[in-house]
Amino acid sequence: MMKIIAKERLPEVLQLLAKDYNVLVPAKFEGVSRFTPYSADVELALEENVLMPPKDIFFPQTEKMYKFKAKDKSLEIEELPVEKEEQLIFGIRSCDLKSLECLDQVFLTKGYVDHFYKDKRDRTALIALSCLQPQEACFCGSMGVDPQNGVGADIQAYDLKDKIGFKAISAKGQEILEKISGLLAEEEVTIPTFGEFNLKADIEGVPEKLQGMFDHPLWADICRKCLNCGACTYVCPTCHCFDIDSEVRGEDGVKIRCWDTCMFGEYTQMAGGHNPRPTKKERVRNRFMHKLRYFPERYKMLLCTGCGRCVVKCPVNLDITAIIKKIKEAE
Amino acid sequence: MAVTVEQVKEINPLVPIKAKVIKIVQETPDVKTFHITTIDDKKPFDPLPGQLGMLSLPAIGEAMFSVTNKGENHIEMAIKSVGQLTEALHEIEEGQEVGIRGPYGNGFPLDYFKGKDILFIGGGIGLAPVRSLIMECVRNRENYGKLSVVYGARSKADLCFKEDLFENWPKVPNMDLYVTIDREEEGWDGHVGFVPAYVEELAFQPQVTVLCGPPVMIKFTLPALQKMGFADQDIITTLEMRMKCGIGKCGRCNIGSCYVCLDGPVFTMEQLKELPPEY
Ligand SMILES: Cc1cc2nc3c(=O)[nH]c(=O)nc-3n(C[C@H](O)[C@H](O)[C@H](O)COP(=O)(O)OP(=O)(O)OC[C@H]3O[C@@H](n4cnc5c(N)ncnc54)[C@H](O)[C@@H]3O)c2cc1C
Ligand code: SF4
Ligand code: SF4
Ligand code: FES
Repeated sequence: MMKIIAKERLPEVLQLLAKDYNVLVPAKFEGVSRFTPYSADVELALEENVLMPPKDIFFPQTEKMYKFKAKDKSLEIEELPVEKEEQLIFGIRSCDLKSLECLDQVFLTKGYVDHFYKDKRDRTALIALSCLQPQEACFCGSMGVDPQNGVGADIQAYDLKDKIGFKAISAKGQEILEKISGLLAEEEVTIPTFGEFNLKADIEGVPEKLQGMFDHPLWADICRKCLNCGACTYVCPTCHCFDIDSEVRGEDGVKIRCWDTCMFGEYTQMAGGHNPRPTKKERVRNRFMHKLRYFPERYKMLLCTGCGRCVVKCPVNLDITAIIKKIKEAE
Repeated sequence: MAVTVEQVKEINPLVPIKAKVIKIVQETPDVKTFHITTIDDKKPFDPLPGQLGMLSLPAIGEAMFSVTNKGENHIEMAIKSVGQLTEALHEIEEGQEVGIRGPYGNGFPLDYFKGKDILFIGGGIGLAPVRSLIMECVRNRENYGKLSVVYGARSKADLCFKEDLFENWPKVPNMDLYVTIDREEEGWDGHVGFVPAYVEELAFQPQVTVLCGPPVMIKFTLPALQKMGFADQDIITTLEMRMKCGIGKCGRCNIGSCYVCLDGPVFTMEQLKELPPEY
């Protein structure tokens, strides 16, 4: 038995939840789908995963860190008030849940906790939504993700074609489900079988094999098309590199951090003109090595969820599954 | 209040605390040492030798520097003027308030050095991180064996920490100093020549060595050390990569799967051989 609601009545559920939470839903806005605060007039996008990953909910593209005032010899540093609002994401897919596992590793482990990230993570509940059909570039199944059962959600919602089913996973999820139970019916359901992946990747043994491939000629080959535009890192749910900068007006300033990309040349520029990654070969190599070998070595998991966004967005069709294949086949 | 490493992990590690510069020493035409305390005259944090701190003039920038020495109530950073922030730091006067966060990085493996003869090799500003360990050895002289220091700079004026080199360290028991400059110069009767050749010429027999300096110095000194029979785990150096966060999050400073800000900056040659050759 599962708690269900007819798909067209989903807004009632979201409306009710919006009383207690800032509810973020997949919606199309000016042609780009992303998680958007729910209101009656948002255009829900439930057919496929959103283009912009949920990482900016926890790790905004630009984020204020603290304020300061510098005048003559004096300096004041002031932490910013923390937001208290509880948030809820409805409709996060399995692949993007996996990306949160990756980001948790980065921001919450190895001795230091990133307070900015943790704060948002702690006050955000997650309702996952299962996929019926992979998109053109989805290959999560190859990366150890089950598109119909997300890991780490509070509630798993199931796309039952004309209905949505809800299953509480955590205690928090149970609580949320109780809030909306008045709107839900109880029904015996079968979860539709998932479609066939168009894209696949055989990742078995790749991290280990890459160990000896730092100087392999294949990097020169792979990077040839790359424009170093950074689109792949921008849409990637797991890419987490950031820069720190400040905005200053007179005596007052704010320290901000913003997404950065290892695809740009100045990323590793050092004093005296030395740059350890001078050309796109080193940069492309670093990106794929990071995803497929360095991250697994450091955190025991891949830094790619198989969401396929970079495959879709790359202007010259650099396809990570094709690269995985090349690595597999390389001598 | 001086904070411990554990406390730093409790507070938001990306937000600096306010500190002030209480003393500035002009070391060379482009290097100054800054003595830094908290507003209430305490150590901003208690670093191990070799650890790092992020120093900022927030309106201008923030950068990582080795803590070259610590006192009862202050820490020291020796800073070379190379760009935006460091030039601005060279303009400030005593009493200037700054932001600081740290300590970061692993620091030197002190236990490994205990009881051993140590050879310190530095070039230019590269003596800054090495000095933090020399000072530890000088402070706790009985814990370490013979100390030898080979230090070189382009000219006499470019030698950092002259007070230590020519006044303080010569008085330390069982410590030998070998200072060299690249070219002959009026008023210099010390050694002339590059560090790698000098090291080779001196033919040391100590047990461990710590070296830090410009890449060419490292490149040519390593073979000399290997010839003298130093094992890879006994050759210790510090690395520099660009850094932003200092806590292993921003992704800036990776060499392979290791982050220099967290897992370094101190590495043995043995560890470096495990890492990719060119980042
Ligand atoms: C682990 C570590 C320890 C360091 N210890 C010391 C020290 O004890 N004393 C000291 O004087 N300097 C030290 N540095 C170098 C110092 O961080 C840079 O000189 C400083 O960041 C330059 O800042 P800037 O704003 O003046 O230069 P910018 O105006 O930002 O840049 C000037 C030039 O320096 C380059 N640069 C920026 N950051 C770095 C960096 N982190 N490393 C190398 N080049 C960089 C830029 O690409 C540019 O070419 C250390 C760096 C690291 C990573
Ligand atoms: S690398 Fe590409 S497929 Fe993998 S998680 Fe990032 S955007 Fe998705
Ligand atoms: S990658 Fe998998 S979980 Fe993500 S949208 Fe595609 S099918 Fe769904
Ligand atoms: S400086 Fe950010 S990861 Fe090392």
